[in-house]
Amino acid sequence: MATETRTYPRRRSRFEIRDNLWKWIFLLPAVAIIVILLAVPVLWTLYAAFTDLHLYRIGDIETKFVGLANFEKLLSNRSFWRTAQNTVVFMLGVVPAQLIIGLTVALSLNNITRGQKLFRTWFLMPLMVSPVVVSFVVGRMLFQEDIGPINDILRNLGFEGVPWLTSPVWAMVALMVIDVWQWSSFMILMLLAALQGVPPDLHEAARVDGANQLQAFWKITVPLIMPITMTALLIRIIDAFKVVEIIMVLTGGGPGQATESVTLAIYRTGVKGGDLAFGSSQAYFLLIVLMIFGGAYLVLTRRAMGKD
Amino acid sequence: MGLAAQKRLRSTISYIVLGIWSFVLLFPMYWVTITSFKNRIDMSIKATYLPFIDFQPGLHAWNYLFVERLTWFLDPFMNSVLVAFISSAVALAIGSCAGYALARFDYGGRNNSIVLGFMSQRMFPGALFILAFLVMFRELGLLDTRLSLIIVYSSGAIPFIVWVMRDFFEGLPIEIEESAMIDGANRLGVLFRIAMPLAAPGLVAVFVLSLIGAWNEYLVALTLTFREAITIPLFMTMQVSQTGYTEWWNMSAISLVSVIPVVAAGMALEKYITGGLTFGALKG
Repeated sequence: MATETRTYPRRRSRFEIRDNLWKWIFLLPAVAIIVILLAVPVLWTLYAAFTDLHLYRIGDIETKFVGLANFEKLLSNRSFWRTAQNTVVFMLGVVPAQLIIGLTVALSLNNITRGQKLFRTWFLMPLMVSPVVVSFVVGRMLFQEDIGPINDILRNLGFEGVPWLTSPVWAMVALMVIDVWQWSSFMILMLLAALQGVPPDLHEAARVDGANQLQAFWKITVPLIMPITMTALLIRIIDAFKVVEIIMVLTGGGPGQATESVTLAIYRTGVKGGDLAFGSSQAYFLLIVLMIFGGAYLVLTRRAMGKD
Repeated sequence: MGLAAQKRLRSTISYIVLGIWSFVLLFPMYWVTITSFKNRIDMSIKATYLPFIDFQPGLHAWNYLFVERLTWFLDPFMNSVLVAFISSAVALAIGSCAGYALARFDYGGRNNSIVLGFMSQRMFPGALFILAFLVMFRELGLLDTRLSLIIVYSSGAIPFIVWVMRDFFEGLPIEIEESAMIDGANRLGVLFRIAMPLAAPGLVAVFVLSLIGAWNEYLVALTLTFREAITIPLFMTMQVSQTGYTEWWNMSAISLVSVIPVVAAGMALEKYITGGLTFGALKG
């Protein structure tokens, strides 16, 4: 990674000499904790992925290196590919929906003068609620097939009740709705922050020059909010790939394997089943996918840092 | 259409959009609240929407939770409180010191890289950690202890705190600190007497955000705890699997008790929290 030289004001060098000790005392605990609790698990999991490590056999028999066997097993494992497919479908369902809702609501918020703070505060609410509660309330209660309000309203309108939790497709839809309910707010707040950074006179100047509302939006607003939008999208993509908690509460991965995500599969094989080796190889597969998006996120972040 | 009329139309449409989304967010909260006042009979035949009209609200779920089974609920509640507060306090102490250091000292021009190293944690999936943590804490004999959760949650919150606080400290005027040091104060005094008080809004924001994160966390708690040290989210799902999703009113009451403190804290500190949440991109 390229290093950037920060140019500090000259007068600061005097302090640097005087309190060289504090410089390390302040930083090292954080670094030590992150190394121990971040780097060690990451490396240990990599090690485990190349062995036959099993939770219930640790210490009993010697751990053997098995080379790429776990990864071969992974690539030919249809059940794993099913979970990978589910995870991608979930991500492709929720992220665009959150972007559209986020943009629509953020534009509306940016448009109004009275009550903006009130709405902003209210929209923060879902982000504070635990996924377990959201999944229980929105999923289990609202989508309940017999006496839940959604099916009740549908029936009163003359439709059939939807088999939300028993049909593979609808169960996935229900999970997507839960995630959209919870995380659209993140998009709203990010995009609102971006929109508020657009100087209003730029917009007006374009209008004076004869651009209509839509042209001004595409030519002025969109390019200016693009960096924040990209960052927000990357964060949501990464988080959507990690989805697990709402699934555990709502469907447990079912019906069958229709809604099992990669993370849930890792929990099932590694923690519940005790197959640490195979679980680790799946975790690494997920990590590699996330690193592509995470790398892009870090590049954008670094660029933003360079601007200050 | 005149400009004023156009403007009025736009603002009307905006309020309609905001109203719809507010309702979407409100309805589940309304539903869980009324359900916590329902009786078995109100939920056995069909959906009921309006208290006093559709059904007669009763307090028996609340009575069950706070009178009959208080001790049963109190343990996980206290676990959540202790784990969330201690882990956030530890993370705040360690993370803000590092954030300050990265704002004020030069680490061979690598300050940005160090911060990005902390931030790279974001892309690591939780699934990658739970397997290693399970083995680590089992070897240490710390499974099913609050300590294990405190360790994991504080390490999870530190990168975010470093990232936000570093920027916050950079925004503070350096002159006050310099003159204090010329007057003979050492760095520790400067940090605690000058920089920390000035950074209080940032410290509150990151503290509350890590509090909420720890309070709501589920996957690690599920992996590392099972009886003594369970937190509220885990307690909820355990109840659900025991009662088979039938005692909606009790579950609703538990949901509300677990949600109200954090939502209230988050919304009360809206200004700081929104800043902390959207921070990374705000600078873009």
